[in-house]
Amino acid sequence: MTNSNDFQWRRDRDGLGVWEHRGKVAIAGYGHSPVDRRWDGENLDTSLGAYTILACQKAMEQAGVTIDQVDGIVCCDSHIAGGSGGSASNWAPRPYFAPPYDSEYGITLINAQWLIGAMGFKNVKFAPTGVPTIGEMVGMASQAVGDGVCNTCLVIYPTGNLEGRYRRGGENADDYARGARQWTVPWGNHGGNDFINIFPHNQYCLKYGGEHDDLAPFVINQHKNGMLTPWGFNVNHGVEPITVEDYKTSRYILNPLRIWDCDRPVNASVAYLFTTAERARDMKSQPVYVLNHSQHNFRFRTTQPDLDEVEMWTDRQAARMYEGAGMGPADVDIFNPYDGYAIMTQFFLEGFQWHGVKRGDAFAFYAGDISVKGPHPFFSSGGNLGNGRTRSAMYTDSIEQLRGTAGDRQVTVRAETALCAFTTPSSGGWLMLGKYPS
Amino acid sequence: MTKLISFDIDGTLEVGDPPGCITLDMVRAAKASGCIIGSCSDRTVSNQQRIWETAGIDMAFTVLKHQLDTVKERFPAADYYHIGDTDLDKQYAERNGFHFLLPDVEVVQLWEGGD
Repeated sequence: MTNSNDFQWRRDRDGLGVWEHRGKVAIAGYGHSPVDRRWDGENLDTSLGAYTILACQKAMEQAGVTIDQVDGIVCCDSHIAGGSGGSASNWAPRPYFAPPYDSEYGITLINAQWLIGAMGFKNVKFAPTGVPTIGEMVGMASQAVGDGVCNTCLVIYPTGNLEGRYRRGGENADDYARGARQWTVPWGNHGGNDFINIFPHNQYCLKYGGEHDDLAPFVINQHKNGMLTPWGFNVNHGVEPITVEDYKTSRYILNPLRIWDCDRPVNASVAYLFTTAERARDMKSQPVYVLNHSQHNFRFRTTQPDLDEVEMWTDRQAARMYEGAGMGPADVDIFNPYDGYAIMTQFFLEGFQWHGVKRGDAFAFYAGDISVKGPHPFFSSGGNLGNGRTRSAMYTDSIEQLRGTAGDRQVTVRAETALCAFTTPSSGGWLMLGKYPS
Repeated sequence: MTKLISFDIDGTLEVGDPPGCITLDMVRAAKASGCIIGSCSDRTVSNQQRIWETAGIDMAFTVLKHQLDTVKERFPAADYYHIGDTDLDKQYAERNGFHFLLPDVEVVQLWEGGD
C-alpha cells in the first residue's frame, strides 16, 4: 500500500497562496458510531472494528454512495493512546477472536487493509499507511481527491479505549524518568500537552491578567453544547452539566489545570466521505466544500515552549489558513478549534482573531455570551470536553452548521463558512469549509 | 466510637464507570452495621448525591476526592477507611490519615467484624 510519505499532500509552509483545489473538493457524508467509555472486551458488536464499519456505513448511506464507488480509504492506523497506552490500548497477550478480530486490527487498531477485507471494498486504489491523526488526515484526503489520486474517499478516525488506565503503560509505567522525561515526569505522570501548555498558559495569565479559573465559562459552555449533540458521550451517558462551583472546586490534575479542563477518553469511531465537488452535487445529502487545508509541526526552541513561541505558532497557523482559503478573520462564521485541554484554546481563538478577539482578550470573551444562540457562538460543537475524546466533534458540527442541520446547536448567526481542527499549538492541522464552493 | 468508611465510586462501586466490585447492598450493610459512610470521588458533589438518592442510601458525606481531609474534621470516629481503586485514592487516604483498602469483597470484614 501507498505510504503517506509517498504522496506529497501537506500544506505546511508559509506563503503557499490560495489552495489550488479550493471549492473543488467536498464532504458529502459522515457517520458516527456510538460513543462508549470503554470496550468491555467481550461484545464484538461494540468493538472498535465493528464501530468503524458502522461509521463507514453511515457515512456512505448519508452520501448515497455504494461500497463499489469508494476508491480511497484514509484511516488513521495508530492508537489514540499512543505508545504509553499500556493495558488501555493493547489487547495482547489476551487471546484474539475469530476473523476479522484475530489480531490487534479490529480490536485496538484499524487500518485501510483491515477495512477492505472486513467490508469488502473492491475498487480502492488509494489506501495509504502511516496515516496521521484526524487534524492532518482530512487535509490528506482533500489533497488526494483534489489531485485526482482518488475520487470518493472515506476518512476514518478510530479512537479506541479498553478497560484499564489510559496512557498509564509503557514508559509512563516505568519506575525511572529517562532522557528528557527527567525534567517533566517527576512533577507528575502526564501525557504531554497538559504539561507543555500549562507553562505558557500561566505566562498568559501573568502577561494579560486574569486567572486560570476564568476558563470556567468556556468549559461550562463546552458541556452545554455537548448536551445538544445527539451522538456525543456526555448526552448519552448521564454526564451532568457542571456549574461554576463544580469547576472551581474540582481537583487539580496539574495545578492550575483542573480535571474539567481535560477531555474524557472514549471508545468510538467516525467516518467522513470526501469526494469531488462535481460528484457531491449529485449525491444524497447537501455537500460542504473544502476551501483550504493546512498542517504544521513547529520545532521547539527548547524542551519547553513559552508564550511567545505559542503565539507565534498560532499566528502562523492562522496566516496559512486564511491565505490558502483567500479569506480573513471576518469571513469565518463557525469556529471549532481544539480543546483537548482547555488551556490551549485561547491561543487559537486569539491567533485566528475570530470575532475580533485579539491577544489577551480571550478571558473577557469567554465571560460574555458564547452560547450557540448568542452573537458569538464559540466552539458550537462542544468539542472534546462536551463529547468525549473523539476529536471529531469539531468537524461534524461544522458540517452540520453549514447544512443547517445542527438541531438545537444551530447557530442564529450566519453559517456559511467554518474553521475546524484537531491541533495543538505546535502540531496538527486545520480545515476550512464552506457552504458554497466559492 | 465507630468506624468511618469512605467509598470511591468509579472503579470501586458497581454503579461506577468502570463498575467496581463493591455492591450497593454491601454499602447498605456497612451503614446498617453502624458505620459512618459516605463517598469521595472526582464526580461532582451533586452527581454523587444523585447516585445515593437513586439508591435510597442516606450518606453522611459526599465530598470531592481532594477534600477527604474535611471528612475527618467533621466526623469523629475510632478509625477511618477509604476504599478506592487507584494510586490517587491511596495517596489522598494516607495523606489524611485514612486506612486505604482496594475494592475487594474482603472489605466486608470492616463492617461484618464489628467495632
